[in-house]
Amino acid sequence: MEVDVANYVALSAVMFFIGVAGVVLRRNPLIVLMSIELMFNAANLALVAFSRLWVNNAGHVFVFLVITVAAAEAAIGLAIVVAVFRRAKNVDLDEVAGMHG
Amino acid sequence: MSATLLLLWLLPLAGALVIWAFGPQLRRGAGWLGSAVAFASFACAVVLFPDASNATGVGQTLGTWIPGYTFGLRLDALSLLWTLVITGVGGLIHVYSIGYMWSDRALARFFAYLNFFVFAMLTLVLSDNVVGLLVGWGLVGLASYFLIGFWFYKPAAVAAARKAFVINVFGDIGLMFAIFALFAATGSISYADIFAKAGTLPVGVLIAACIGLFVGAAAKSAQVPLHTWLPDAMEGPTPVSALIHAATMVTAGVYLVARFAPLYNLSPTAQSLVSIVGAVTMVTGAILGVAQWDIKRILAYSTMSQIGYMIMGVGVGAYQAGVLHFFTHAFFKAQLFLGAGIIIHALRDEQDVRKMGGLFRRMPFAFWAMLLGTLAIIGFPFFSGSYSKDAIIYGTLEHGHPVLYFAGILTAGITAYYMFRMIFIVFFGPDRAEVPDELLAIPSPGLAAHAEEHAAAHAPEWLMRLPVAVLMIPTVAAGWLSIGGASSPWYRYFGTMFGTSENVAGPPLPIPEFASQLIVYAVVTVGVVIAYLRYGAPSAQTGAVARLRAEAVAMPLVLRRAFFVDDAIDAALVRPSQALGAAIVRTIDPHVIDAGVRDVAWLAGALGYVARALQNGLVRSYAFTLVIGAACFIAYFAWLGLGTGR
Repeated sequence: MEVDVANYVALSAVMFFIGVAGVVLRRNPLIVLMSIELMFNAANLALVAFSRLWVNNAGHVFVFLVITVAAAEAAIGLAIVVAVFRRAKNVDLDEVAGMHG
Repeated sequence: MSATLLLLWLLPLAGALVIWAFGPQLRRGAGWLGSAVAFASFACAVVLFPDASNATGVGQTLGTWIPGYTFGLRLDALSLLWTLVITGVGGLIHVYSIGYMWSDRALARFFAYLNFFVFAMLTLVLSDNVVGLLVGWGLVGLASYFLIGFWFYKPAAVAAARKAFVINVFGDIGLMFAIFALFAATGSISYADIFAKAGTLPVGVLIAACIGLFVGAAAKSAQVPLHTWLPDAMEGPTPVSALIHAATMVTAGVYLVARFAPLYNLSPTAQSLVSIVGAVTMVTGAILGVAQWDIKRILAYSTMSQIGYMIMGVGVGAYQAGVLHFFTHAFFKAQLFLGAGIIIHALRDEQDVRKMGGLFRRMPFAFWAMLLGTLAIIGFPFFSGSYSKDAIIYGTLEHGHPVLYFAGILTAGITAYYMFRMIFIVFFGPDRAEVPDELLAIPSPGLAAHAEEHAAAHAPEWLMRLPVAVLMIPTVAAGWLSIGGASSPWYRYFGTMFGTSENVAGPPLPIPEFASQLIVYAVVTVGVVIAYLRYGAPSAQTGAVARLRAEAVAMPLVLRRAFFVDDAIDAALVRPSQALGAAIVRTIDPHVIDAGVRDVAWLAGALGYVARALQNGLVRSYAFTLVIGAACFIAYFAWLGLGTGR
């Protein structure tokens, strides 16, 4: 059974905006990181869907790249969260605002 | 060939840079290196002598400035002569300086400056175009500034250096305007092109260029009324006075007029101006030389007077005679200054002749050096100065200037008087070193101001004596080159280089040259005799202290203030400039310049205050801003897509 590409794109858009909402609204850095992953995967889904539609493997290759970068980003992001926690003794993003002008 | 020329030109620059960079490591080696470089340049000039000693000489193109205008070097008979003196006499003075500056902490700096000066002077005389000449002209002024102000902890030295620099720059401006006029009229900057077109220049341009050039020459060569810096420049170390303010730099004006002979030959008006200014300087310098008590100032005013002779010589069109006087003067005046330096050094920086006296027995070498130099400068028969001075004096008559002729003879007499006044006061009579200043009417503080420089170590004596001894030979003999008039080696050396002056065809000469020489000798003898009677005779020597005191007290104010030239310049130019500067400081500076800076700073602050609100430190708000931006971006492209209907 062939699923229409519009469904994939719609799902991707919904996932992406859930991720955006998570980054903008949540104050827990772990949730924010998860939301960022969600946005990555929304983009991945769109890439794979279009790749199938146009019968072009470039999209697949790009997805692998994104997964790799996402892994690295998650590692660095978690390391930063740990470092911030050690310094600030909390994990509330709004409390960690030492760079305000 | 031309590689040698480049070497000749660049060696002193390389020496200056090396000494400047490695001065602390070189220590006194800096002096030897500087001397070696000067003599190496001299050797290059000697090697080039056979090829360069004619009107065309040896050339070397350096590069293109603006397409169509090239810079280059040219060593011809005239510049070769200057090059030999600059590097030869300069080299001797370098060696002398090693002894004179032996215990100075800044020895390396001194030699870096000296080598830089030699390079600058070579740039001036070797350039084959007027722009290169101007560059050399400026560099020489800068080198002179460095060296006069060498002892920068002496306020008088700093003031003298500044004064010399400002007056020199005034001359540079005159030179620059002459170059503008010549360029506008001929469309070229090279000497060869300008001289080729000299005959076609409009008379106004010609006179303007000649006068502009002479303003430059007058400032550099200490001609009235731009002479006031030269006596003050004696604040520099004595070797500097010998090299720059006697032998080489101050004669650059003579070089300039001789170099531009093809222009001056065409303009009798400009020639008259040059020769009259030269004559006025000659007389003024001699009169002021009579009224000095500082041994270096006596020599400074005599330099001014002798340069007046040279300028008068080249001004009337007697170029060979004027240049010959430069040549002989370089030797005997360097000799006199170096001899004076030996005395000053031995007396621990005492420069006032009233505190000397009786040095004949203490310093026989210095006495003979000074005596030979003095005999040469007053034009004693068979000494170098007599040939050149007689040639100038007779040249004025040949070119139809009887007034200048009599001025020249009169000045020769005054010169003889004040030079022998110095000899008698310094070397004869009782030693007055221990006589209190009040008895000699010496105003306190005394002239010596840098005794701290001479701590303990003293150089071996031969270091300062050898150059003086070498200079004795040309001091006596340099003039012999011109024996035989027009067929002498000197006149054949220059050949037709200077062309002929339009005013050469004067009235028939009333006096033959030999008789003219006899008149000069007679006047010189009168000068020497008067000096003897006033300072040298046994009766004058016994009462020397009272005599000198009486003379110092009775010195007319007009002589003491050097004809008020400094005061006039001060009132006419310096004070108004200072007032203008003060007015600008009071008005424009706080209300325009500072206000502008303050306003710019305030604007930056205000913008920053607004922009600060954006940086609240909340990561979520940054992310939201990002989302808004992305949304705007997408909306824009969506709108574009709608516009094209796709």
